[in-house]
Amino acid sequence: MAQEVHVSESDLERVRELLRTNYKPRDYEEAQELILGACQDVQHLIGWVSPEAAKIIGEHLGVTENRIFGLLTFYADFRTQPPGNHFMLLCHGTACFVAGSQKLIDELQDRYGIAGDETTADGELTVQVVNGCLGVCELAPVVQVDHHDYFGNLDIARFNEAIAEIIRRGPAEGHHEAH
Amino acid sequence: MKLTDRQAFEQYAERVSSDWAKLHDGSSWVFRVPIGEWSKSKGALATFDYLRLLLEESGLTYTLKRVGSGGWNWADPSVVVQGPNHPSILYANVTADRVPDLIASLKAGKPHEELAVGTFADTPVGNIQPIAEHPFFAGQKKFLTADWGVIDPESIADYIARGGYGALKKELFEMTPDEVIEEMKTASVRGRGGAGFPAGIKWESARRSRAEPKFIAINSHEGEPNVYKDRQLIESNPHLVLEGILIACYAVGSNRGYNYVGGEHVLALERFRKAVAQAEEWGLIGENVLGSGFDVEVRARAGGGAYICGEGSALMYSVMGERGQPRTKPPRSVEEGLWRRPTMLNNTESIANAPLVIKNGGEWYASLGTEKSKGTKLFTFQGPLKRLGVVEMEMGVNLRHLIFDVYGGMKDGYTFKGVQTGGVSAGALREDQIDHPVDFDSLTSLGAMLGSGGFVVFDDTVCSVGFARYLMAFNRYESCSKCTPCRLGNPALTEILDRIRHGSARSADLQLIERTSKHVIELSLCGLGQVAPMPVLGMMRAFPEEWRQHVEDGVCAAGDCPMHARALMATAADG
Repeated sequence: MAQEVHVSESDLERVRELLRTNYKPRDYEEAQELILGACQDVQHLIGWVSPEAAKIIGEHLGVTENRIFGLLTFYADFRTQPPGNHFMLLCHGTACFVAGSQKLIDELQDRYGIAGDETTADGELTVQVVNGCLGVCELAPVVQVDHHDYFGNLDIARFNEAIAEIIRRGPAEGHHEAH
Repeated sequence: MKLTDRQAFEQYAERVSSDWAKLHDGSSWVFRVPIGEWSKSKGALATFDYLRLLLEESGLTYTLKRVGSGGWNWADPSVVVQGPNHPSILYANVTADRVPDLIASLKAGKPHEELAVGTFADTPVGNIQPIAEHPFFAGQKKFLTADWGVIDPESIADYIARGGYGALKKELFEMTPDEVIEEMKTASVRGRGGAGFPAGIKWESARRSRAEPKFIAINSHEGEPNVYKDRQLIESNPHLVLEGILIACYAVGSNRGYNYVGGEHVLALERFRKAVAQAEEWGLIGENVLGSGFDVEVRARAGGGAYICGEGSALMYSVMGERGQPRTKPPRSVEEGLWRRPTMLNNTESIANAPLVIKNGGEWYASLGTEKSKGTKLFTFQGPLKRLGVVEMEMGVNLRHLIFDVYGGMKDGYTFKGVQTGGVSAGALREDQIDHPVDFDSLTSLGAMLGSGGFVVFDDTVCSVGFARYLMAFNRYESCSKCTPCRLGNPALTEILDRIRHGSARSADLQLIERTSKHVIELSLCGLGQVAPMPVLGMMRAFPEEWRQHVEDGVCAAGDCPMHARALMATAADG
């Protein structure tokens, strides 16, 4: 079992604020339609959907935490564990596959000891393997780091350089923000 | 800026059109930088910022616009420049460091020939040729994409200036819903999500349903790897999609439209939401639209990264905040969809065709394309090709022409081996099979498929068994696990493929693949399972010798499978 991690009270307050501002369902049907979007926005804000955050979303929209966890565990986008200092999306779409993204996934396992959707033991890097597509296929194989930077046309050497570089930068303040 | 009636709309449209014409009359400079997810990944924001800085200092009279992607993604970061004595020219690969050079050249009164791809004018400018002669642009019929790279996707004024919402106005004031549906049927727009079901017939059955209220849902989920045409359609011109939704709502008698957008398409979702907010503010969404008595609302909903949610009933569940697991049909969603109400589901590209059909007529639309596949189609090709991007071609375009002319053929040093068709749902084609028109029906005889228009070209370093395993594993991962054939069949097939790749398969395994595939295809509940094994069967059919070698000779010619590494090690040990 992963050890329990808590989100700071100030982050939770930001979550409440976000929901109050942007999520105003007019009826119960609309409230249910908003669950997934709320989870997405909360994850963009604090990097993952923690149990406390899920509870707040549930209270705001009038649905149970169970319902929310049912969604978080079904939909691939969501993380129920906190990410490391840096967050990487590793594209494993078809175009990236034919350009060698499988080799990068193997390298993650061999060198960093993580499978897709895991965090390195030192807490520096979380990698999520995207089964779909980042849609920037010209850079294949490509990773997106901390929601902004792309490193493309990677082979194993350049992949490792990219990881070293982003770790060297140190944790970016507010790097969970999508934009 | 609320437009309360038809006249107010027409006056406004006239005003913004004349503003638009004035901006482009050649008296001042206009710079456009396409900003989309793709161009951002290549540094277009830096180009934009630097351009803004240098233009401020340049002394030129200019307008700098952020526009949507033009589809020429390979040329990004790109800049389109028009100016006094300077017809519109597309400049490619204008990374930030090249901006000073470009500005210096323009200030000196001459186009920058090295960076230029072509001119949008009809005649050459110095050595710069008309872009219509460039192979990437030559065969394109730009209707859906007409305003890509031209208008600011975040500006409703730009859209209206180019004739936008004119089709909605025409529909509301000059057409009955039945006439609209008649036009859609004449046009015979077929569903662009892959199934190819005629949209007009769908609209008609939704219209006929007497249960009220009823809804429209648009599938902009696009979870398929390597397809991004819907995403780019929304990013580059969200109002076109929105106008299509409004037209459909009016035609079928619905007061609420949904657009379900993949949660990972952050920019598309943002721009679509902005478009909805603007249309509300302009009075094109809401109560009594333009005084016509038509009430409508549009809701944008985010997905969560599950490919299965492209399936109709799964999409409905996902919109309703449930797990996206398909259910048995009937009832079809047009009878019982969102909130148990009749819901008509259309693909993004299909619905974006509606404004064009209403504006230009069904006959016009039906004059494009082939006998059974009308109109144009957005294509995305991936893999080691010289040019990547989204093109809009008439249905029936030749596949070889697309690959080797439009997309420029293979990058230097790569040899064409095959092309995967239909996303993850159909088979691949070899080089001797690609002299073939691309439309909804022509490819099926080859075990290939148009699907949503996503094709991936691969070279001879890619093993067809390994590729089949990848495609199989994709479907295995994306299976919702509700029905047994899909939940167990796909992992079983993946295991067989792994045996083959590791060199421990027997020849009976090839028959086992066929048999297991048949079970999965025939017994699965929904479209995902029913096509999941198709890419494997397709690869086996396209490259039978390669599969035989794997199983019988223990050889992976592409040198990609684990058995190859083992063979190398054994040889090294012997040596």
